[in-house]
Amino acid sequence: MTTKGVTGDMEGKENGKPMLILKDIHKFYGANEVLKGVSLEVKRGELVTFVGPSGCGKTTLLRLIGGFTDISSGDIILDGQRINDLPPNLRDTRICFQNYALFPHMTVAENVGYGLKINKWPKERIVSRVNELLEMVELEAFGDRMIDKLSGGQQQRVAFARALSLEPKVLLLDEPLSNLDANLRLVMREEIRKLQERLHITTVFVTHDQFEAMAISDRLVVMKDGRIEQVGSPIEIYEKPANEFIAAFVGYVNFMEGRIASIDEKTRDTVIDTEYGKIGITLQQDDINPGDDVLMVIRPESVNISLNCEGSRQNVLCGRLKSYMYAGSIAKCTVTIGDRTMIIDQYNPRDAQHFKHAEKVEVEIPRSVHLLKKKK
Amino acid sequence: MATAELSVKLQSSSGSKIKDFLNANMVNILAAFLFLLLAFFLLYPIAAVLIKSLRGPSGFTLQYYQNFFSKNYYYQSLINTLLLGAINTAVCLVIGFCLAYMTTRGPWILRKPLKIISLIPLIAPPYLFALSLIILFGRNGLVTRALDLHWELYGFGGVVISQTLAFIPLAYMMIESTLMSLNPNLEESAYDMGASEATILRTITIPLLAPGLLKAALLIFVMTIAEFGNAAILGGRTPFLAPDTYTMITGESDFNMGSVLSVVLIAPCILIFFIHNYLLEGKKFTTIGGKPVASEPRKITPLIKVPFVIITTVAAGAIFVCFAVVFVASFYKILGVTHNIVLSNYLDFTSNQAIYNSIRVSFVAAVIGAVIGVLLAYVIVRGKFFGRNFIEMVSLSGFALPGTVLGIGYLLAFSAPPLKLTGGIMILALNCVFRFLAVGVEAGISKLHQIHIEIEEASADLGASFLTTFYRIVLPIMFPAFIAGFLYTFMTAIVSLSAVVFLVSPGFELAAVMIFDKAVYGEVGLASATTMKLVLIVVICMMILNYISNKTRLGSSMKKTAAV
Repeated sequence: MTTKGVTGDMEGKENGKPMLILKDIHKFYGANEVLKGVSLEVKRGELVTFVGPSGCGKTTLLRLIGGFTDISSGDIILDGQRINDLPPNLRDTRICFQNYALFPHMTVAENVGYGLKINKWPKERIVSRVNELLEMVELEAFGDRMIDKLSGGQQQRVAFARALSLEPKVLLLDEPLSNLDANLRLVMREEIRKLQERLHITTVFVTHDQFEAMAISDRLVVMKDGRIEQVGSPIEIYEKPANEFIAAFVGYVNFMEGRIASIDEKTRDTVIDTEYGKIGITLQQDDINPGDDVLMVIRPESVNISLNCEGSRQNVLCGRLKSYMYAGSIAKCTVTIGDRTMIIDQYNPRDAQHFKHAEKVEVEIPRSVHLLKKKK
Repeated sequence: MATAELSVKLQSSSGSKIKDFLNANMVNILAAFLFLLLAFFLLYPIAAVLIKSLRGPSGFTLQYYQNFFSKNYYYQSLINTLLLGAINTAVCLVIGFCLAYMTTRGPWILRKPLKIISLIPLIAPPYLFALSLIILFGRNGLVTRALDLHWELYGFGGVVISQTLAFIPLAYMMIESTLMSLNPNLEESAYDMGASEATILRTITIPLLAPGLLKAALLIFVMTIAEFGNAAILGGRTPFLAPDTYTMITGESDFNMGSVLSVVLIAPCILIFFIHNYLLEGKKFTTIGGKPVASEPRKITPLIKVPFVIITTVAAGAIFVCFAVVFVASFYKILGVTHNIVLSNYLDFTSNQAIYNSIRVSFVAAVIGAVIGVLLAYVIVRGKFFGRNFIEMVSLSGFALPGTVLGIGYLLAFSAPPLKLTGGIMILALNCVFRFLAVGVEAGISKLHQIHIEIEEASADLGASFLTTFYRIVLPIMFPAFIAGFLYTFMTAIVSLSAVVFLVSPGFELAAVMIFDKAVYGEVGLASATTMKLVLIVVICMMILNYISNKTRLGSSMKKTAAV
């Protein structure tokens, strides 16, 4: 996609105020509370992703912002204006549905121009704007096609162009990539992100795919059971998850229990007592104190695995290699240490031949481990 | 020497050869047999009507058709019928659309009650509405006397009203199913792009519904012009084709003119049947499906909400009142004239005898119909022979044909040797079987489409013969379809009037015919009670059917069939 000739609503008008504010939003369906007090600020030009397992309320939240569902309590503030009671046709938000919802009885150009026509744009301006948008999504040649003559990816682009036609203040994307095959999904998410950055359009993206969410967003909003569990950049969410659920949700994780034995105030060198002995790390958090019971969040790719085991160095544990699944760029190792199992990703596996037949291995826990404080 | 050896070999294996031949061609043999049945009991009677309309005392003649188009009376009857069809279709579509819109897009609390009331007429014979209109607005009607009115119910207006009420559920069901299949995100997208409710309706909803609406319109039109009861009971001196056919046969014994009227009535039906099944087949806008979700209610502007609410309330109210009136009337000799609550209408011997006869006829029809229906469905879905589509078309056509036509057809075809059936229960049952065959066939087809042919192939692969496979695998799987076909045929047959009215013999009264006679002669109490008994029977059938379809996931496909 190119952004030639299309200017986003927000360009050059940036100011400090957030574009979208959600204040303590509750939503009931009958007695069933699907949103239990959600508060969030979305900055101008930011791409924020709601992510979480199905049933967590992310799509409901998106529909609330779009105006398709009434909120039970709370406030939605768009660009300084409270829009709780505005119906979708009077809200300056545009939604892209999961199934694109393109009008099957109209051509591509008619679909893209629908909103312009409804808003009584003069004919010539509609034509030029539609061309501009189609060019943007690289479908210039497809204006006269009917929708069912387009591929899935093309339909996705049309839906995107249609949603952008009226230069909304906030663009809402409801799992826009879930109907595409894996390769196309990667391409499209890159294009959407590029375009969104170029247009500087505030965007709320909903997906259940945590990797997609991390790849595309400025910030992630991880939801569960109608509540926000954590808000943060993909790096924060991945490296400093707020709790076990998030740690496990954004990737595989090996948890190891322990108790803080000592913290060196200067170097932050920390010793943790575990059932496998002492593990030394460099503490990066302030909220951990000696004596705390913690869960160490050990990512599979952060662990070093090597053949044989002397077992005398610090942070090195001996284990038995239970399985070794070689897959080219990566090998998945399952190692049993004591009565626990640890998953380790070995990137660029060199000694695959030897590992295949190995029994004893050594596992090195990195010093940069994130800790979760266990509740007492 | 060599030839002798060969013949011995042939002889020794001829037994298994026949078996092999049967195994390989069983579907074709079955198809041929079924086709003969269709030809004899469906095509032949229709042909008999056609021939009768073209053959005078001295051979081929067009004189009867000339009569039809030159005599004002007949001509007027055609105009009235088509006009009735057009008005009825238009009104039913509007009301059906409003109801469907409110039950799928309207406020949550209205959806369920409106839906229930819209579907109530399904459990009633169509002529219930004629009956209730007589009770309310007839010469001795409740409202007529209460307000001392001097109007004439009998005529075009009365027929239009009763027909409209009778066909609302059909319109509603068809429109509702297309509205339900419409992805709600489409309308929401338009809403999101700034369109108001009215604009969404005009630019998205109605254009997308158009193919569905057209199909519904065609079907309602055919059903309306073919419908006999309401026009016969309330038509008065206004001529309509279907009841005129009846008077022509029973009153004047003019089989030639009766046949001409039938042919004239068939023509639009066949035309529309073809348009509906072949031209419009697959004409539907497809979109990428998401998860099917109910549309959340939108803030409907008063401009749309008010007329919609008025139309739906009036329609639902009228349906409800009609039912209530017949129910109440069944407890009076003549409601509004006599004032004692009596049970005599329910205990009436002739009425119960008629109900008993109706049950017998319908039961026989349902058993035969369900068997033939399942077999036909099997042949149509699994067969690979030439003419498969033709068999399907013929077996489904009975439904599209006006009942009066098949009534006369059977009268002409089976009243003389070689096959004299008139005067017995069989002619009534067979008539119902082949008129309503579509129901069983559709049920069977939809069930069979859920079964992969691999299941049968697996059975054959394990060494089972065709008959074994059919008996052990196909029949058990098809059983729910058989039961559904049975119950539908039973329900439809027991309330049907238009064909059997020609075929009943004196002394063998059927409930539907009795209601018709009593309504015409103003014995509304007895007619109402008999109607209520039919309603009860239909309700029981529906409950069983509902139970079965919930158990076997036959539900959605069967409901569609019910609409047709």
